[in-house]
Order: sequence, then structure tokens, then C-alpha cells
Amino acid sequence: MIMRMRVLHLSWEFPPRIIGGIASHVFDLSRALARRGLDVHVMTCNFPGAKKFEGIDGVNVNRFEAYAAGDSFLGWALRMQKNMEISSSDLISGTRGFDIIHAHDWLSGVAGIGLKHLYRKPLITTMHSTEYGRRTGIHNDLQASIHEIEGWIVHESWRVITCSYYMRGHVSWCFRTSESKISVVPNGVDVTKFSFNFNYREVRNRFAQESERILLFVGRLVPEKGLDTLINALPIILANSLNVKLIVVGEGPQKEVYQRIANDYGLREKVFFAGHIDDWTLRTLYRVADVTIVPSKFEPFGIVALEAMAAHCPLVTTTTGGLNEIVDDGGTGLKVPIDNPNALAGAILRIVRDVGFKNYVVENAYRKCLWNYNWDKIAEWTNGVYDAVLNEYTRSIWKPSG
Amino acid sequence: MRILLLSWEYPPKRLGNIADHVSTLAHELVRRGHEVELVVLDDLKQGFEDVTGVHVHRVAAPIKTHPMASILSYSVTASLQMETESSNIIYFYKQQGKSIDLIHAHEWLTTYPAIVLRHAFHIPFVLTFHSIEGHRCHDHFNTTSLAIKEIEDMGIWESNSVITNTDWLKKEISRYYGKGHDEKIRAIWPLRPNWVDEVVSVYNRAMQ
Repeated sequence: MIMRMRVLHLSWEFPPRIIGGIASHVFDLSRALARRGLDVHVMTCNFPGAKKFEGIDGVNVNRFEAYAAGDSFLGWALRMQKNMEISSSDLISGTRGFDIIHAHDWLSGVAGIGLKHLYRKPLITTMHSTEYGRRTGIHNDLQASIHEIEGWIVHESWRVITCSYYMRGHVSWCFRTSESKISVVPNGVDVTKFSFNFNYREVRNRFAQESERILLFVGRLVPEKGLDTLINALPIILANSLNVKLIVVGEGPQKEVYQRIANDYGLREKVFFAGHIDDWTLRTLYRVADVTIVPSKFEPFGIVALEAMAAHCPLVTTTTGGLNEIVDDGGTGLKVPIDNPNALAGAILRIVRDVGFKNYVVENAYRKCLWNYNWDKIAEWTNGVYDAVLNEYTRSIWKPSG
Repeated sequence: MRILLLSWEYPPKRLGNIADHVSTLAHELVRRGHEVELVVLDDLKQGFEDVTGVHVHRVAAPIKTHPMASILSYSVTASLQMETESSNIIYFYKQQGKSIDLIHAHEWLTTYPAIVLRHAFHIPFVLTFHSIEGHRCHDHFNTTSLAIKEIEDMGIWESNSVITNTDWLKKEISRYYGKGHDEKIRAIWPLRPNWVDEVVSVYNRAMQ
């Protein structure tokens, strides 16, 4: 009898508990793996109103008590992971155990290390980001500690998964680990979420005038997202007699700085800071926008680019990080160097004015979503990593019984 | 009997009296014909050593930097390293068809690995308290002390038996953690001539 592969995902967040991007990643990935026929279990923190055990589209979700007193976020995070480890042990006793333990980031990787040794099963960790990347460097003891913990997890993992080749290089450099132990599996996007009927005129008129083309920026307002470059490009675009309106979705510490730059340029009417908006409105915005721009200076992956591609919205990005792999210059969008308003303005003008080129790019981009970034494909690649690891594990001497 | 001792200190690493206490206990157990595996945290000396019959496994803390010298993040990460070494010892015996009969942890610092190992391998554990957090922090519980108190509480609940060195500490544990535990707490004064035999009797009771 062929046994179904059993996988335990460890994640500190899972819907309805959503704190960062990992919740939706694990939600989509685990369901896609279950669709492929794997026996998938998720161990995650409890949340008010959420059930202790539930089945979601074939995924067995287990929630443990995440409360623990701690001296800091780090102290809590480590004690929380001891609870995660104990609950996982209880889950494993009384079953035939798991073939793979798959942890996500340092907020579950420490529990992964413990479980790996307790049950002698291979640990795979997805490094969604690094402390070094998040803060562009290690500046204090708290960060140094998290950085060390991440290195420990990378060292203990049988394989590491990153979402881009760029992140593979980064993780390899950051933790002095060989690139040969890191697999790249991209993030995904659900294109069906972007095809729906809605009142195009009504949404468009809410954000811009009839004569204005809509430029869309989505992201936290922090320096590495590069909104300043885009605002600097606006006067050039307007001088080339293209009437545009920039919609900025997102909040952040740099908001006032960007508002001041826009006012100084006399662009008060041309830049609209929409702040946080709900999921549905954001998806309609992608549909009505003439261009989505990702002017980032640092970007591990670039999920905004995927969402624009899924919504048939033309895309202009920089050549940094994961964006370099998502966008094919002149094929699925346009790419420009970072910090270059002239090049950015030129690319925006080209993609808006050349309708034939625009249609060509948008169709290619949508197809790339279907081929590369759909969750079934990602589950297939992830399953491939599992198979490779289990193959190595089977031939190894490191086993629970001799 | 095959016993796994977990300690934060063992000679040459001496922070307080526990090093000598654990050392005496381990050697007396070996003298009585028991097998002793001892896992200890030691940042200056690592690896396996046979100390006149006691199998000592010294492991180093995996994380060296801690914000504000946090004892909490240091202890949780370091005790996880002790836990992985303990797993390796358990599998070492498992593969010879043998098993660890009992885990004896000392203080809250080694409580987490004992709890986790019990859940994973169903090995009973005994926990010795040499002191408790309420006394160490003079009842001024800050977030660190509160966390340590919670870990001690978890250890008392999860352990099969608790040992204290004095009757007074036994009473204090009841005062801090509730009277419900009286049954499983045993005060053994470690200067009495046959105190190690009393510890062995606690082991026997914990294994039933």
C-alpha cells in the first residue's frame, strides 16, 4: 500500500490570525498541497473565535495555546514555540508521525529544530525574509539574537526554501551556507480572485478624473519601497503632456515626507494618498489602473507585481531583488534601474502610449501568472523538494530506529 | 535503572551548589549500579566524557547574543540544545533495544527539555527545586520573573515527582503554586547519610 506523504506545517500565523504575509502563504500552499493528495497538517497559534481543530479544504488545522509571559517579543516567541513543540508532540503520538516537518521563518523554526531531533524527521524551512534584510543590517542585540537564531535554523534544516533566486543568494551570504542546500520556490497568486464584474466607471471616477490616467503604487511607505523616485518622475511625465494621477495605497513612517515632496512640486492634485484600503477595493484598483509601478530599492519577492499581472494591469518595476525574476523586460512588463526618475518616466510613457505593446505585455504577464505563479504549480515544486529530501533521508543513517 | 540527568552546571562549571549536588548524586547512583547519562550546558568545554562511570555530555549554547542579557532567551535556546543531545542519547539506546527509564531535571532552566521529552517519549520525569523564582525576585515579579514562575508551574504540573532539599521549600511551593501538589513533592535533605537512596525511592515511585 502506498502511504500518503504526511507533512506538518509550523506557522505562527494562519487565518483568521493574520499578522504578516506568512498567514496567507501557508493558507494557500497547504490547501494546494492537500489538493495534490498529501496529508497536510498545520500547527499554529490560537486566536479568539478560531477552533482548536478544524478541516479547511482538506488541511487539518491545529491551534495551540500561544499565551506565554515573556520579557520581550523574543522571549514570548521562544516560549510560544515550546508550546508549539509540545502540542506537535501530542499530535504526533497516536499517529504514525510525519514524513516532513516544514517550518516558516524563525517564529516556528526553533520548534522545528526540537521536533526534528525528537522524531528524527527531516526539517525544511522556508525563509520568507531575514532580520538582516528587514532592517538592512544588524544594529542591536535583539536583531543580532534573531539573526543568530535564523542562522541556527538554516544550519539545522535539511533544505531551505526561498521565494526568489535573489533571496537564495542573500540567505547563502547572510548565514554562510551553501547555495546548493537552498531551493527556490516562488510565491503564488490566485488569478481567479482578480476576475469579477464590477462598475468600472464608478470606481474610476472615485479616484481620478476622466482625462487622467491612473498610476498605482501599493506598498508600505518606507524608504526601501522607493516612492520618492516615482514622485520625482511625475513632473517629467506631466511635461510630456500625459495627464496622470498617482494613487498611493499603504501607510508608513515616510508618509509625511512624501506628502511634502508632492506639495513642493505642486502635485497636490496629482497624488492621492489612499492609506489602507480593503482587499476588494484594492483588486478593483488594479483593474482600473493604467500602470502599476513598483519602484523598490530592496524587494525579497514583490507580491504587488504578481497581483498587477493577475489583474491584467501593465507593470513597470525596478531591477532589484525578486522583481528581476518576475518581470521580463519588454515581455511581461518594463524594468528600469533603481533611483532613476528619468528612466521610470520613460517606461511609464511608453507603456501607456503604445497600446499594442501594452496589450502584448499584459497578456504575457497574465500567462506567466498561470504558468509560474499558480498555487498548484507551487505545490508541485514544493512536493518536488519534499521528494528530494525524503530520497536523501531514506538513504541516510539518521533514523528513529536502527 | 538508566537515568538521564539534566543540569545547568556540572564540574568544572560551577555557578552555585548545584554542580556539586548533581555530581555527588550522579556518582552515588553509578556506585549503586545505575547507569547515568548527564547532559549539561557548558560554553567552555564540550563533548562526551566518562567521569568515573558517569557519562557526561557537555553542550554549548547555540545563541551567543541576547538582548539586555536576557536569561529567558538564553535559557530557552540553550536548553533546546540540551534537549537535542538528550534525543540523540535516547536514540542511541533505542537502537540497541534499550531505553532511558527516567529523566531527572534540576531547576527551571532544564524543565523545558524534560517536559518535551516526556511528551515525545513518554519517559517519566522528576524535578528538583533548589530554589524558586518567588524567593529569588523577592516577590517583585517583573515580566522575566513571571515567565520563569510560569515555567516552574508547568514543571510542577507536568512532572511525576518533585524533590526539594528542605521541608520549608516544600511548604513554600505549596504557597506559591497551590496545595494540590503536596502529594508528589518529597523533601530530601541532601546531607542525610542515605539521601541518594531516598532519591532512588522517588524514582521508583515516579516510574510506577
